[in-house]
Amino acid sequence: MSKFNILYHEMVPEHILVPAEEEEEVLKALNLSKNQLPKIRKSDPVIKSLEKITGDIEPGRIIKIVRKSRTSGIATIYRMVIGE
Amino acid sequence: MILAWKDTVKKVKDLVDKAPVCYCVDYDIPTDEKFTEALITISGKTFVAKAKISKVTGFEKGKECLKKRKDGLKTCLKLDKIEEIQDDVVNYEEVNGGSIERIESFAFIVKKEEAKIELKESYEGRLDKDVKNVLKITEKKHYQLPAKVAEKLVEVKRKYDMEDKDFDKLIDAAIQKHKETSVDPFEAVGIVGAQSIGEPGTQMTMRTFHFAGIAEMDVTLGLPRLIEIVDARKTPSTPSMTIFLRKEVKENEEKAVSLARSIESTNLLDLSDIEVNTTESFIRILLDKQKMEERGLKKEEILSKLKKMRMQKNTIEEDGLELKILLEEPSYKKLYQLYEALKTYQIKGLGGIKRAIIKFDQKNKEWVIYTQGSNLAGVMELKDVDFTRTRTNDIIEIAQVLGIEAARNAIIEESISTLQNAGLNTDVRHLMLVSDMMTFDGNVEAIGRHGISGKKASVLARAAFEITSKHLLNAGLIGEVDRLNGVAENIIVGQPITLGTGAIKLMYKRGD
Repeated sequence: MSKFNILYHEMVPEHILVPAEEEEEVLKALNLSKNQLPKIRKSDPVIKSLEKITGDIEPGRIIKIVRKSRTSGIATIYRMVIGE
Repeated sequence: MILAWKDTVKKVKDLVDKAPVCYCVDYDIPTDEKFTEALITISGKTFVAKAKISKVTGFEKGKECLKKRKDGLKTCLKLDKIEEIQDDVVNYEEVNGGSIERIESFAFIVKKEEAKIELKESYEGRLDKDVKNVLKITEKKHYQLPAKVAEKLVEVKRKYDMEDKDFDKLIDAAIQKHKETSVDPFEAVGIVGAQSIGEPGTQMTMRTFHFAGIAEMDVTLGLPRLIEIVDARKTPSTPSMTIFLRKEVKENEEKAVSLARSIESTNLLDLSDIEVNTTESFIRILLDKQKMEERGLKKEEILSKLKKMRMQKNTIEEDGLELKILLEEPSYKKLYQLYEALKTYQIKGLGGIKRAIIKFDQKNKEWVIYTQGSNLAGVMELKDVDFTRTRTNDIIEIAQVLGIEAARNAIIEESISTLQNAGLNTDVRHLMLVSDMMTFDGNVEAIGRHGISGKKASVLARAAFEITSKHLLNAGLIGEVDRLNGVAENIIVGQPITLGTGAIKLMYKRGD
């Protein structure tokens, strides 16, 4: 990997792996099915970095993303990990 | 430091069988270098064996040793242990900056430095205590107020020294107002967004002329740039980077100058004239002293770089500022191949960066480097660079280096700054919607036929957009079904569209 931690870059928002037990709760609150969520690739550099902390992240897991937003200050969204 | 060399499959097997063993190689390995480990490669791509070396001596005749070759041996290595391994070559780099694929004989390598990966402090954690409190209160009221609104409320509370009872009323009022101003269900946000970007877009300059950007740097602006962003081009027409320096060196002009110089990529052709002599089959390189001084390069550096090129069979003769590369055997084709390779041979700098200039930012009191050309991953690895702020205008590159979410941010920021540069005030929310759609699938996709418009679920909607016959024919061939959920397809069949009141079904409930 590289000499820098991309998670510190100011353009990269927070990425947090949602524990498998909490996934259902999240989806219920959003009233969505998993496949309706925006996607993030397993080969995404941020996912690769996250894997160093959490271990392997399989496709189908949900990533919570906390963004700094111009309009609302902080915004939370979710993305589903897909293969490749 | 670790020694690495190239060997054959047979020899590696022999070594593994016979270890511990003394091994003689035909490389001139300096005996004063300190190293105890060695890695052996066969393909030049991965390392296949790892060895422990206890002693390095010069070669003496008559010694009982395993020999790499029959003659021309120069160094003897005492291998204590050797084992076959499977290692990833990317974890190593050559000591003097070369790449491992180039190992022809031997090289010293080191393990690549790796950053410790940890999460940064959470945004929520950084919020003010009172703001968090407000958010908690609103949560109890079953409503989510944006953090920004909560911050404003706290500000007002402090300013007027409000009592809790009054503040609670204020929160209620804020919630009420927020509800009123939020988008209605089934509002056509996409159409509104398209209009809101399109209308000011008509007032933009159709074609911008060059040298419009910061300090004689060529940057595409206006409508062409906006189209470029939305089209998700592989490379922008004028890629450029903004590089910030680390806190400790950001006011140091010398450091900034030397950094800017060191990243500017310099080809051999930038420094010299290259002539091809076909009759005697050699290439003459005439170095330009002035140009070399401008770029801070010495002849020796260029020579050592040239020697690293893949051309062991050719010899280099030097005579003052004149270098002559002689081919071993005359070959017209090889001569021209070499000439082409030499022309673009990079002597210095990072690939992709054509020019770098520095500028002092009065507001933040720091030196900033602006570049023409972009190489985000390369620049971020440099020691004096503050990688957390360094950025490029190449959105695809950002997606590759920093991920899809960073690319989404980049799309928003690039497009809003393009619009604002033209003096247009478009609400960010429209651009947020655009960038959300562009990054929905996990990679940056263009808006248009090749991107998201071409991936609509409905055949009729796709056919209504572009290349009608192709979509209809294809749908007919494979028997596609259109569920008529969207807008365009319902207009085509003459039904109420699924927007606003057309999207909901009302039923009359009879009171008994």
